[in-house]
Amino acid sequence: MTAVDSTKAEMTAPVPQMRRPWGTWALGALILFLAVTPFILVIVISFGQKIEGAGWEWDFTLANYQRFFVGALWPDEVTFLHLQRLYYALYYAVIASVLAVATAFPFTYLLTRQSRRAQSCWLVFILASLSLSEVFIVMGWDVLLSNRSGLPMLFEVSGATDWLKRTGWFDVLREWGLANPRNVKFKTSEFATILTMSYLVWPYAVILLYPALSRLDPSLTEAARTMGASPTKVMTSVILPTVKLPLIGSTLLLFVFLLGSYVTVVVFAEPAKQTTAVAVYESVRGATLDAPFGAAQAVVLLVTAALFLVLAQYLTKRSEAR
Amino acid sequence: MSRHLMNRRSLLKSGASAGGLALASSVIGTPLIAQTRSLKVASYGGYFENSFKEHVFPAFTAATGIEVESVTQPNSTDWLVTMQQATAAGTVPTDLSLYARDTMIKASRLGGLISPLDMAAIPDASNLDGYFIFEDGTGPIGVGALSWFSAMVINPNEVSAPASWADFWDSSVYESSLGLSKNYNSQLLDIIAATFFEGEATFATEDGIVALIEKAAELKPNVALWWTAESQMEQSMKNGDVIGGQYYHDVAQLMAADGFPIQSIFPKEGNPQDYGSWCLSSLSDKGAEAAEFINFTSQPSTQALMSRMIGTAPLVDASVTDLTPEEFASVSGSPVIRPAYEAYLDKETFIKESWDRMLAGA
Repeated sequence: MTAVDSTKAEMTAPVPQMRRPWGTWALGALILFLAVTPFILVIVISFGQKIEGAGWEWDFTLANYQRFFVGALWPDEVTFLHLQRLYYALYYAVIASVLAVATAFPFTYLLTRQSRRAQSCWLVFILASLSLSEVFIVMGWDVLLSNRSGLPMLFEVSGATDWLKRTGWFDVLREWGLANPRNVKFKTSEFATILTMSYLVWPYAVILLYPALSRLDPSLTEAARTMGASPTKVMTSVILPTVKLPLIGSTLLLFVFLLGSYVTVVVFAEPAKQTTAVAVYESVRGATLDAPFGAAQAVVLLVTAALFLVLAQYLTKRSEAR
Repeated sequence: MSRHLMNRRSLLKSGASAGGLALASSVIGTPLIAQTRSLKVASYGGYFENSFKEHVFPAFTAATGIEVESVTQPNSTDWLVTMQQATAAGTVPTDLSLYARDTMIKASRLGGLISPLDMAAIPDASNLDGYFIFEDGTGPIGVGALSWFSAMVINPNEVSAPASWADFWDSSVYESSLGLSKNYNSQLLDIIAATFFEGEATFATEDGIVALIEKAAELKPNVALWWTAESQMEQSMKNGDVIGGQYYHDVAQLMAADGFPIQSIFPKEGNPQDYGSWCLSSLSDKGAEAAEFINFTSQPSTQALMSRMIGTAPLVDASVTDLTPEEFASVSGSPVIRPAYEAYLDKETFIKESWDRMLAGA
């Protein structure tokens, strides 16, 4: 009896925590509106119709998606041009993010073994370097890789170019597209693109790995060492398994971040190896004013990124369960 | 095909124009009296617009009493989108816009954006070649304002001046050494049509266009840089990353005058000429003032003024201007390759996709 009564009383009594002021609801709605509207707009525009020689109009056509997979001239001709761009977007992002995490990992591990003071100095320095924009970093590498002011100049002056020419390696570099008849050249190349991308996200990698590595209990490794495990054994069977999830998580985050990088690709990748992000911009703001196709490419890029995240989630869960 | 910001010249001449800016701002800052006739004129922002404010608008106001309000337009294509949206909304930011020919044709096809001009009020347009007065179904909608060449450039310290564009196909000289524009409509196809095919006529069929693009593909091993921004090519020429290619004639002349190793050449096939037109917004009620302004810029003296002060090529015959041969050579030359504008629009998706496939090797 009393139990029922008290339940009733609880149900009818005003519950202060449940009351939401109108302000909160309005703010929530506004954020939702600001976050969701652009998405919906892009998706809706991706079904628009391009008018040759003019702009585009609202419509419902799948032509833009069809063009992405088989080209605009289908069925007369099939081209995988747009898929190729998506491939390069994934290719650069995978290599650059793995490279960044792989090099940031030993650095961060050693960093966490330093004194408190040294650690904070390094972290402040790395945080400060995050303020450099992509444009700034690309400009820097652009100069460093230029013929007269950068690495090729160093090759020339130090005699490395002549040495390469004497030993025949120069012809190999020319075949790889890393030399012209006069000297080595690093622009445009996959080398420069991936290097710059890794450099771009390297500070993020350190900052993402730092919390996990600094929480690593030193007594674990000490215990393993006392029991006679070699440093390599300690790394592979104690440290790496402990930080596996942060490693995978950081790589994924950087991968998704790099999928959309624009300036690096425009400056350092030759047109044959440019990515979907560049093509999106060209469609929307280039001379064709083809916003619907730009939107369709953006949607495909978005879906691809989402698929990779879901796949990674699934693989992580499966390996956890094992 | 439209030119964006004229970075290079803005750097070179910003010092020289600083003094003039004070004058320009005093012109712009003058409050308009109710009876004063006025006109809003848009031009490409940066150095370009500043030169207009400094040299052309004051001269026009002095000649006609019509005050000019300068409006910044980023380039042709983006501005077309802005004007399209503004026209739909019912108020436009400017009376006159400066459109490259392809954008003007695009605007004409979109319809309802540009008013026909009263040519009877623009008698001096007769100084211009008929090609620079563009008519569509509604009448004359654009009169040429100024023009520029994208020319063949080389590094004279590395190679001798080629006689023909065909020399760029010679890999023994130019392997991985050229800088060409990456955009499908940046006139490389027009150069190829003039050099190896029947010129503009080759654009008439899709087979012709495919042949042009296949010829362009043969150049790929010789290209070190497919540039999208003017500044990329400028830096690469200065740094020696490329030793030749396609670049703006007037800017190349300025760089050469600064001592950089660049030489702008008119080979036997010539260089492509692009130009901007004055177009009157359909919502403007300043048709009479606009006509007076266009008439003013069509005069040989104004064309010569723009060549000297802005570095654009005159649209009138050099002989009717007072430009010296040296002054004329620094902004213009011959022969002229005229781009196949209509084909680029009629077969827009086809050419862009075929061009991109060529570049991507897909």
